[in-house]
Amino acid sequence: MQRQRPLWMLVPGGVLAALLIVVPLAVAVQISLLDLDQYSFRQWLGAPFVGVRNYHEALTRSPLAHSILVSTGYAATVTVVTLPLGVAAALATHNRFAGRAVVRSAFLIPFVLPSFVVGTLWRIILQPAGVANRVLDPLGVPTGLWLNGPRSFWALVIVQAWAAWPLVYLLTLAGLQTLDRDLHEAAALDGAGWWAKLRYVIFPCLRGPVSLAMLISFLHDINNFALPFVLFGVPSPHDVEVLPVLTYIESFQNFRFGLSAAMAVLSVALIAVPIAVYLRAVKLDVGEEARTT
Amino acid sequence: MTRRRTPSVLAIAMIAISALSACGSGGGSSGTGKTLHVLVSANTIYPEQQRAWFTDVSARFKRETGATLTFETFATPNDELTKIQTSVLSGQGPDVYSLGTTFTPTAYATGAFLVLGRADWDTIGGRDKFLPATLGISGPDRDHEVGVPFTTRPFVMAYNKDLLAAAGIDKPADSWDGLLAQAKRVTTGGTYGLAVGYGDSFDPWKFVWAMSLQAGNPLVDKGRARLDDATTMKAYQTYLGWIATDHVVDPAAVGWKNAQALAAFGAGKAAFVPMVSATSKVSLDKSAVAGRYGYTIMPTIPPGATALPAGGVGAASILSGDNLVVARYTRNKDLALALIKMLTSQDLQENYYRTFGEMPTNAQAAASLRGDPALAAMVESASRSVATPFTGAWSQIQLALVNVVVQSVPSVSTGRVDSAALRSLLGQAQSSAQAALDKAK
Repeated sequence: MQRQRPLWMLVPGGVLAALLIVVPLAVAVQISLLDLDQYSFRQWLGAPFVGVRNYHEALTRSPLAHSILVSTGYAATVTVVTLPLGVAAALATHNRFAGRAVVRSAFLIPFVLPSFVVGTLWRIILQPAGVANRVLDPLGVPTGLWLNGPRSFWALVIVQAWAAWPLVYLLTLAGLQTLDRDLHEAAALDGAGWWAKLRYVIFPCLRGPVSLAMLISFLHDINNFALPFVLFGVPSPHDVEVLPVLTYIESFQNFRFGLSAAMAVLSVALIAVPIAVYLRAVKLDVGEEARTT
Repeated sequence: MTRRRTPSVLAIAMIAISALSACGSGGGSSGTGKTLHVLVSANTIYPEQQRAWFTDVSARFKRETGATLTFETFATPNDELTKIQTSVLSGQGPDVYSLGTTFTPTAYATGAFLVLGRADWDTIGGRDKFLPATLGISGPDRDHEVGVPFTTRPFVMAYNKDLLAAAGIDKPADSWDGLLAQAKRVTTGGTYGLAVGYGDSFDPWKFVWAMSLQAGNPLVDKGRARLDDATTMKAYQTYLGWIATDHVVDPAAVGWKNAQALAAFGAGKAAFVPMVSATSKVSLDKSAVAGRYGYTIMPTIPPGATALPAGGVGAASILSGDNLVVARYTRNKDLALALIKMLTSQDLQENYYRTFGEMPTNAQAAASLRGDPALAAMVESASRSVATPFTGAWSQIQLALVNVVVQSVPSVSTGRVDSAALRSLLGQAQSSAQAALDKAK
């Protein structure tokens, strides 16, 4: 059977994938093995080959380990925070009510704003004498520094969660739309209350779209460069020294292109882990039938 | 090493060939049919004037050489670096670049730009045509210069005349300690002595560099970093102390960029705003303090001293401004030099100052401005500006210096300058600066 498949039709996609993914990745790996810096980039192929020395430096003598911790910690926190928000918003706007279209559109505003705009807005809001502190102070909430120091981590979580929850909402809503109406009726006929219906009928069906939302959200958070860059500037405050900004600084401020490429390759390896887990869990590649049979 | 030498030999051969062919072409109209590409920084204060200037300069260049001139702009130094990288790798792109002075050492380190020989300088109009101080960051030494000074933006300090008069201060202090004492006298209620952008990505290192150099420490000394020196520690303690313990700066300034510090001064909420250039005049003349402020040079006596110590350099500002450099890969070297000659001529430099407020590097043009009282401080600062160390590692050192301030902000905002933490941060800065210097070639 397999031999008769018109595999040649994969050629255009294959060429594109090679050009857009394989070649840049191969170049990144090659650069990561060179001592490429401001002194050698003019003839970058002639830069001294240093083997895995950049990887060794990245892992032992750079803030990479700290950055991985900050990035994964913040991405996981944002994912956990946005999950209930997104699911609740999807459930609330699933059934018809007057003005539903307006509410649904409004929910998407944070998501469609570019990270650069979100960062700039929140940078103004979170200034020491900004709106956030002026609102929180009369409420008795301790005010202070949001864009540096320990609180900056939470500032990043809050702003990213604000921008990212609509993704979970959108995918959950899409999942809800695919639920068969009969399923709701059958549950109602069996006398299920709203919680029982939610717990035993709706949630199990949402597992696929919600896990996808969590994965995309997590990866998006880990890879988000613009938001922390605009929000905190460079050099990054210690508590928000995230991976993409660190890689950027090594490349474009310190001109350690080889070291930076090694960090980039390591971060590809890092984000491959959740992708592999997800692919195994949902078996995306074999389709719906394979799961049920 | 040999592998690296081959391409540079090739490059020199190519330059020699292009120079020979240039010799053959000669004449004023040699550029007919040719196009020269120039990359300059986008002027965000005067965008329309900049477009008009591009048109005027292009028309004049066409008249003088017959060649077409096209301008391209970049928004940030990083955009420019990306452009340089792609151009250098592909061997095509702008023929002439305008570079910030502190970026010139990094650009020199790439080896991508033409080292100007005696003949090249003669073509441009000779070194004597420039203010001597502005040539201080053109190259590591006189025989290896890549940058031709185009504009100079010396840093000065603006002061509020009314606030100073109310506090009984007749003139701004010439030492940092004196400035602090004056700032304390002025600070009352919502008015502060100083406006400083502690959240700026560039300004903090300029203060630390100036104070250290005035105390005799140039930060880089014969390939050795000296960021862990006591003078640098004192500089950081002074700079951070203003806001943390002396309370002469608005506490909100921990998050300010330079523009916000200028805005606070413009609103009449601060008596002094150090580290501003002539371009600040545009916004201050439209602000609440219009007509009631003046400029003076920043203090040149280091913290803890009443006179310049032995070995100290009375630097009033970093040598700031723009240099013009020619790409090595250019096939239009003669045209590139003709353009640089034109851009650094007296009339064009005077016109550039009148349009954009940026000070000339042409000595005659600068002399003609000397009589303008509004510019006295800038002219003085320009003549007392000192070049930052010329090393390819300078960008990294700059970043390490700013990083100390960024990581100190949390403790500063609680009203402390933690000496132990500062020492540890300076230790880190020292090792990253030294590592960068060790790689310097």
